[in-house]
Amino acid sequence: MSSVANTGATAQTRRGIEIIARGFCWQHPERSQPAISAFDVQINSGEKVLLIGPSGAGKSTLLHALAGLLEVDGAEQIAGQLLIDGSDAFAREYPVGLMQQDPETQVVQSRVADDVAFGAENLAVDPAIIRQRIPEALDAVGLGMLPMDHRTQELSGGQKQRLALAGILAMQPGLMLLDEPTANVDPEGIGPLRDAVLNAAQLSGATLIVVEHRLDAWAEHMDRVIVLEPGGGVAHDLDPQRLIDDESLRAELSEAGVWVPGYSPQVQPASPRPGALLLEAAELVSARSGQAPRTQAVDLAVSAGTATVIRGENGAGKSTLALTLGGLLEPAQGALQASDALANGLGKSPFSWRAGALIGRIGSVFQEPEHQFVTQSVREELAFAPLRAKASGGHELKYEPQQVDALVESLLQRLGLQHLAEANPFTLSGGEKRRLSVGTVLAAAPDVLILDEPTFGQDARTWRELAGLLVEQLEQDTAIIAVTHDEHLASVLRAQEIHLAAVAKQQPAIARGPVLDAPVGHSWLAKINPLAKLGAVAAATLPLITTLDWVSALVVVAATILAFPLAGLSPARFFKRAWPLLIAGVVAAWGIALVGQDSGAVYAQLGIFSITEGSVHGGIATGLRAFALALPCILLLATTNPSDLGGALSQQLRVPHRFVLGALAGMRLLGLMVEEFATLGLARRARGVGSFGTVAQRISAKLGQCLALLVQALRRAGRLAVTMEAKGFGIGQRTWIRTATFTSKDAAVLLAGIVLGTVAVGAAVLAGTYNLVWG
Amino acid sequence: MNQSAANQRSGWRVVDIVTASVIAVASGVIFWAWSAGYGLFSLAFAAFPPAAALLTGVWLFPAVLGALIIRKPGAALYCELLAAVVEALLGSHYGLTVLLSGLVQGLGAEVVFAAFRYRKWNLGVALLAGLFSGLFAGISEAYIMAYYVEYTPALKLFHVIATGVSGLIVAGLLSWLATRGLAKTGALSALASRRAHLESGKLAAK
Repeated sequence: MSSVANTGATAQTRRGIEIIARGFCWQHPERSQPAISAFDVQINSGEKVLLIGPSGAGKSTLLHALAGLLEVDGAEQIAGQLLIDGSDAFAREYPVGLMQQDPETQVVQSRVADDVAFGAENLAVDPAIIRQRIPEALDAVGLGMLPMDHRTQELSGGQKQRLALAGILAMQPGLMLLDEPTANVDPEGIGPLRDAVLNAAQLSGATLIVVEHRLDAWAEHMDRVIVLEPGGGVAHDLDPQRLIDDESLRAELSEAGVWVPGYSPQVQPASPRPGALLLEAAELVSARSGQAPRTQAVDLAVSAGTATVIRGENGAGKSTLALTLGGLLEPAQGALQASDALANGLGKSPFSWRAGALIGRIGSVFQEPEHQFVTQSVREELAFAPLRAKASGGHELKYEPQQVDALVESLLQRLGLQHLAEANPFTLSGGEKRRLSVGTVLAAAPDVLILDEPTFGQDARTWRELAGLLVEQLEQDTAIIAVTHDEHLASVLRAQEIHLAAVAKQQPAIARGPVLDAPVGHSWLAKINPLAKLGAVAAATLPLITTLDWVSALVVVAATILAFPLAGLSPARFFKRAWPLLIAGVVAAWGIALVGQDSGAVYAQLGIFSITEGSVHGGIATGLRAFALALPCILLLATTNPSDLGGALSQQLRVPHRFVLGALAGMRLLGLMVEEFATLGLARRARGVGSFGTVAQRISAKLGQCLALLVQALRRAGRLAVTMEAKGFGIGQRTWIRTATFTSKDAAVLLAGIVLGTVAVGAAVLAGTYNLVWG
Repeated sequence: MNQSAANQRSGWRVVDIVTASVIAVASGVIFWAWSAGYGLFSLAFAAFPPAAALLTGVWLFPAVLGALIIRKPGAALYCELLAAVVEALLGSHYGLTVLLSGLVQGLGAEVVFAAFRYRKWNLGVALLAGLFSGLFAGISEAYIMAYYVEYTPALKLFHVIATGVSGLIVAGLLSWLATRGLAKTGALSALASRRAHLESGKLAAK
């Protein structure tokens, strides 16, 4: 455990709180069974408790109840008592910290210091005290080296969890609840995160409850283990040492899927019989896109009936390599060639194959099963690929439609999903989703099967089933390639290993596509109040709506360009941002020139349209006006952080902070969603949803992709809302560590905008070009 | 209806606010992906640029989708306005006027839901909300913001009708279908629309 730092100002006489449950029951309004029933327990102040149990035992519900987050509207059934230091948990009289498993939704704000402060601000702690707590909390979780303005999006998963923990510490809670904190964290991130949690518990004296199913990292550091049984009662309440000593307990728990310390599930290892060469990579370099970071060059030969494991540190691009091997990304350099046996009448490059041909040859299983679900039921999901898989030459179907039914039935049985055949795939449990996602890809009987972290975050039972399934595939001569950290899996598959080292001197992978919170630099305009800038841009541009003439538009464009040095923008950076606007202006001009009102000389006649002197003048004015409306916004965007704009809106214009901060928290997810949208496109190709085909097919494929994005967005929203509520969001008045001010400089900027708008319109009136659009 | 039921219908919980925000931001991503392909579509209309108005509906769906999912007063307006803010922050072609457009479009859908007192969320109401959002957008673009001041009166009328039709189909019908699809996945389980897929598909069902 790392050393205890900074006991100074925060170590006043704090202590953990005591929890007493007496016959506590809870039933969700729309469920037939209670999530928790007859729950009796007493947890002492400062105790460190490991809470385990099979899925469906109500662990998460219990944590939400303790955090006071279960909604009470009269419809659900509650019985018994749940007391925190003697008062009802639902009254939320004490701050309680809660951390869930998805790192992306544990962070709320886009800058490190803001995120640490978020919970304390919601509790209306004095900003001066919060500013003191921020560096202490960051030190305690081992993130003291980060600059206060560091972008939270650039942190790794484990770092995001530690940041969330710092935010919890800054609230000074008497109870910390952690719901599978390491489930989505890479192995190298688990140790530091665990140490940060223990350090935080020791510093704050808070009572600690950790829900986990991988016990290696936790068991020895905890005071007590509570095992829940399905339906939510206590099955065992014991000393952690018994997880190591008591064989019958170990057998019982591992049968239920818990990874007791030092446990490896027994699976009959594969006995490989290498067959024909299927796929060969020579000096293969992979990249997500043209500008994205590239991986090391890789040489690899894949033969039927053998397994290959891709290992390597974070950020080496293991998943990117897997996507390239799977024919989903085009090789950035080098070659990937399918043998004649695999190509079976098609070209050598898997990337050139259509989706239907690809899935019958190379199957890819993505890390997140939900990314690959494309239908409404488990049965349709399994039938989807076989109905589309193409055999030799890529035209005839691999299966007759009547064969597919029998195939689906046998798969349902092998995966143990018969009873769920008609269920919606998204409603399955985590383990069931994982098995289904492997099954949907196996359904097309690919010769090569590629899996990205198939065992990551899975319980021991799912692990056994999955490993058994993969060994079976190997023995049926399928080649398997897996990206995994899991050494036990590699040994069961008797896999050859390739190690992918990170390429030095590269920027860490950053979000592609649009980013809302890019650094705004230190220009003069960056220090101006965001509302003053917004007001200035509005005052300068909105008068242009009233008139269609080239003089007023030109004045605004000229003044804006003169102001660019204030924003620290060079001509090159300006042009990079402005070229889409120029194109939009030209398009608008063309539209009007073509169909606008005609007058004067006729320049050209195109069918029923004529381009005339009048319509060309109208077109130029329209295009220039569009350009003038958009251009000043570049000044605003290049120098303004949306969080600062939100703070000013809420503090100075009294826009309700719940909506402002809710919007900002949503906006932080933009870069993530853009990446997810691209991943969904690849994941769906791997299921046989093509990006070729008729216009109708392409539109329906895109609509499906949008719907899949919305599902992921909504799931994130649900988890983010829980995080924000647990941090006291929306319960009352809050404080702000960044206070918005309005100085004479800000007033000058606002005034300049007003003057510019007036001058532009005045110039047009003087020049006689002012042309009221409603006239 | 008692007081607490009334509060539940109109009050925004944290999960409502966050979900509405995330829907608006996801819409921003879809706008962004759409703009990348939009050029191709618009080129198809280069021979008759006003027909591009038929594609307007894509910019209107956050209003109807947000309202159908959140089912709270102001949801249509909030989602459309925030989607417009995201678009503006990404560097919109339209400058700050995109915020005015978002306001007008959101208002078009909001008045329809308000007219049904935030009690009806069926297909008919969704289509009507899409239509009004489109008409509001079209009227504002053709006559108030006057982007198309050089159009002939007949073309302006065509523009309004085209945006209305586009709103009806893309914002109205697709949003309604999407809400049902989302409810089936269980992704709406914390929201008032969690049972949308079990509601009748008739035009004017309760």
